Amino acid sequence: MTAAAQFLPAARRSKRMNPARWGLYAFIFITALYFLLPLYVMVVTSLKPMAEIRQGNLLALPMSPSVDAWVKAWTSACTGLTCQGIRIGFFNSVRILVPSVAISILVGSLTGYALSLWRVRGANILFGAMMVVAFIPYQLFIYPLVRVFSFAGLGQSLLTIVIIHTIFGLPTMTLLFRNYFASLPVELFKAARVDGAGFYQIYARIMMPMATPMVVVAVILQTTGIWNDFILGLVFAGRDNLPMTVQLNNIVNSTQGERAYNVDMAATLLTALLPLAVYFGSGRWFVRGIAAGAVKG
Amino acid sequence: MKRTLFASVAIVAAAWASVPVSAEEMKAEVIHWWTSGGEAAAVKVFADQFTKAGGTWIDSAVAGAPNARNAAISRTVAGNPPTAMQLNTGKQFDELVEGDLLADVDVVATEDNWKGVMPAAIVAAATRNGKMYAVPVNIHGQNWLWYNKTVLASVGAAEPKTWNDALAILEKLKVDGKVIPLAFSGQKNWEQNLFNAVMIGVGGAQMWTGILGKRDAALAGSAEFKAVAVTYKKLKDYVDAGAPGRNWNDATNLVIQGKAGMQIMGDWAKGEFVAADKIPDKDYGCTVLSNGSGGYIMGGDVFVFPKAKDPSTTKAQMTLAKLMLTPETQIQFALKKGSIPVRGDVDTSALDACAQKGMRYVADKAQQMPSGDMLAPPALIGALQDAISQYWNTNMSADEFSAKVAAVLKSQE
Amino acid sequence: MRLSLNSRLSAFSALLPALLVMLVVYVGATSWTVWMSLTNSRMLPNNNFVGLRQYEMLLGNDRWITSVHNIVIYGVLLVSLALVVGFLLAVAIDQRVRAEDTIRSIYLYPYSMSFIVTGLVWQWLLNPTLGIQHVLRSWGFEGATFDWIVRPETAIYCLVIAGVWQASGLVMAIMLAGLRGVDEEIWKAARVDGLPKWRVYVSIIVPMMGASFATAAVLLSTGVVRLYDLSVSMTNGGPGIASEVPAKFVMDHLFERANIGLATAAATTMLITVIAVVAPYLYWRARKGGMR
Repeated sequence: MTAAAQFLPAARRSKRMNPARWGLYAFIFITALYFLLPLYVMVVTSLKPMAEIRQGNLLALPMSPSVDAWVKAWTSACTGLTCQGIRIGFFNSVRILVPSVAISILVGSLTGYALSLWRVRGANILFGAMMVVAFIPYQLFIYPLVRVFSFAGLGQSLLTIVIIHTIFGLPTMTLLFRNYFASLPVELFKAARVDGAGFYQIYARIMMPMATPMVVVAVILQTTGIWNDFILGLVFAGRDNLPMTVQLNNIVNSTQGERAYNVDMAATLLTALLPLAVYFGSGRWFVRGIAAGAVKG
Repeated sequence: MKRTLFASVAIVAAAWASVPVSAEEMKAEVIHWWTSGGEAAAVKVFADQFTKAGGTWIDSAVAGAPNARNAAISRTVAGNPPTAMQLNTGKQFDELVEGDLLADVDVVATEDNWKGVMPAAIVAAATRNGKMYAVPVNIHGQNWLWYNKTVLASVGAAEPKTWNDALAILEKLKVDGKVIPLAFSGQKNWEQNLFNAVMIGVGGAQMWTGILGKRDAALAGSAEFKAVAVTYKKLKDYVDAGAPGRNWNDATNLVIQGKAGMQIMGDWAKGEFVAADKIPDKDYGCTVLSNGSGGYIMGGDVFVFPKAKDPSTTKAQMTLAKLMLTPETQIQFALKKGSIPVRGDVDTSALDACAQKGMRYVADKAQQMPSGDMLAPPALIGALQDAISQYWNTNMSADEFSAKVAAVLKSQE
Repeated sequence: MRLSLNSRLSAFSALLPALLVMLVVYVGATSWTVWMSLTNSRMLPNNNFVGLRQYEMLLGNDRWITSVHNIVIYGVLLVSLALVVGFLLAVAIDQRVRAEDTIRSIYLYPYSMSFIVTGLVWQWLLNPTLGIQHVLRSWGFEGATFDWIVRPETAIYCLVIAGVWQASGLVMAIMLAGLRGVDEEIWKAARVDGLPKWRVYVSIIVPMMGASFATAAVLLSTGVVRLYDLSVSMTNGGPGIASEVPAKFVMDHLFERANIGLATAAATTMLITVIAVVAPYLYWRARKGGMR
């Protein structure tokens, strides 16, 4: 961004190449290299047979590329007694993911909304306490939570794991929405109040539609966190609902078994496909000018 | 938003309604950390035997021992235990016994005369208050030396017997300069494993049980212990710059490919040699370095059985315990796992050369050494690990190190 | 603004789940953690009170001291670098570039992968005998040296390299959401005034995006304090104890080392530190003018 990038009305819409735009694309290209290098290593490793990997030429292209490792990772890698690859956990992960993401965002955005725009007594204390717990390694809560849930008669189930994800997502979701709502023009909220809209009406009709980009961020955050969660799913989901990451871990993390790095890489990439699809698909929701549109209403 | 939410609630509700129905047959849910190819094949031996005995094996494999233990113990504490869970042979289940959470297997053990056919140290490690609470299923030698025959021959060296032999060969390889003398994986537990191999190979049995078993802080200050420390640190001259952080199997592969001369690693390393189609005694050799007093560090795995209310579960537990130790199961399991059988009275002709060597070590009472896990609780092993790792990776002197070890031994009760 | 009883009830009902979670889960579990740190619990929780002995042990523990030291270095570097990189990426993408979805996904993808494997890949890349240094030397740059990961004094910076790689994409997404929430009128006004674009960003947009920066900084900081997977898979805390971090200390002692007393003492210390940092900040904010 140089001073030459004068902000002419046309410049924002046209894609004319000038020195500033060359600089821009160079920046994007170089940063993209840094981001893509590990991915490149993973992909080429996944396409090499083990004998070639043992040679240790990390960046070399595969001499005889093969998708065997991908097939094995998806359909036949052993994850214990069952040798059906990581696919067996895929639908469990989806069943955990969808309700967990939806409910945690709903609860988090409502909480953030109540804390930001409504002067509720003790809101600061509640928010502060939530911020503090957001910093605690959540693994510490496992023992006591196992006790709490078995005391409540929930034990291990899909419902339990959804509640668990909602609980652990609450602080960050609240933070995200509280800060976002607080940064919106307060006039919107005041106007709605004057019109006599109630708490939930303002939330559903005005605030959430304006928060679309933030909802996208929340979806990205929660999808990734929940999809990649391993230890909570292991402890709370019950053995019929074990997520895909348990299989991934079983393939990748063996202590004394021989290691097949090509299968490890393929399994990791396969596991990441869903969050990647979410990121890619989130594109059209990142649109500009909602706030302006809403004001003009 | 609304529609998604409704759909999710419906999904949750549907899942909630489908509570599994319990059948009356013999079922065993087993939590273990054997997940990858060879490991999984080994655990399948148990599962198949159990199925043959009329049971249903429900496999709960979780890779990574801490992960598996975490899941198993959380559930046991919450009152929803698995039928059986894997632990390392040693002190890991002390508190489960103290808390009265485990069923003993003494009846089966007596019936099948386990105590007569297993090494005494293994029996002791499975026994609490005079009763056997765990089923040891295998023995993993932890301090094997693996070497590439071609590489050693290239400098005219024969199989080393002692650490002095080994150091001489390492020096030759270093002078020769073609390969990495010692293949090493610089992660804390392997740094400790190497130290253990030196401690027993240089310091002998008394040093081993004195430090880990008796926790004798004075011994840690002795000249003998310092000699161990000095030998250990000397090895650092023979590892390459890429060692820190490396996985153990990558170090093994350096030996396999002739890029390195030798490696100290447990007998699970054999799996890598097998995967690369290498033959023991032809392509690679295996031995245990010793000063003549004691030598073979015996680690391994056990299964324990959380107390159950349901008699059918107890029946499944005792069936499992029994069949895990039949000679047939034992030999099949060892073949797949790369370990050796826990009983000395089985036909070992099917085992490979290195495993047979291991059987001979274990047959000799003087060679049987309990592993660190059997002698000391995890907290102490861990604290020692930190000290060893610091010593290996910094310029700490042998004196400072021995003072540190003495302090660790004193602090742990 | 005075709220009607109805509105107040509604707002309260919306906060009910959060309150419940705070009271039952967090306050309960946190008290349990603090209590455990005063006992000599090993593998299973027990109630043998030993006073502050675990804290004494903790303060005499080299690894804990190193962990604390490391997390400060890592935290400062990661948060500042990820904020800068993430913001620049968001601004770059916001210039109506071609293939925006693809570029955004490239920046974001590292966030989607668990560190169990990507940590290993970074370990390979930074390993002098395998990765970047090896490749540069094989290309003829004989003197090229990049061996931070195997040197105790520099290993922690390698965690920063991988950490920034993973976290910047998320910061970019938050910043982008913030940028796209900027009123179109502001851009129009700036255009009319003939301000150069970079000045609009520096003088107008950045100050307006305080909330986005705060959100990203807090999210990054929680990640810093909880940093665990990366240290495990990339260096396993090594060489030696050179790249150990507090959460790994807690986790290792909680499970592998069966030392709940020491683990919870470490966790409590972390908790107190966080409160000591967060509480004054929140107090200051509250004094400054309440919620808005």
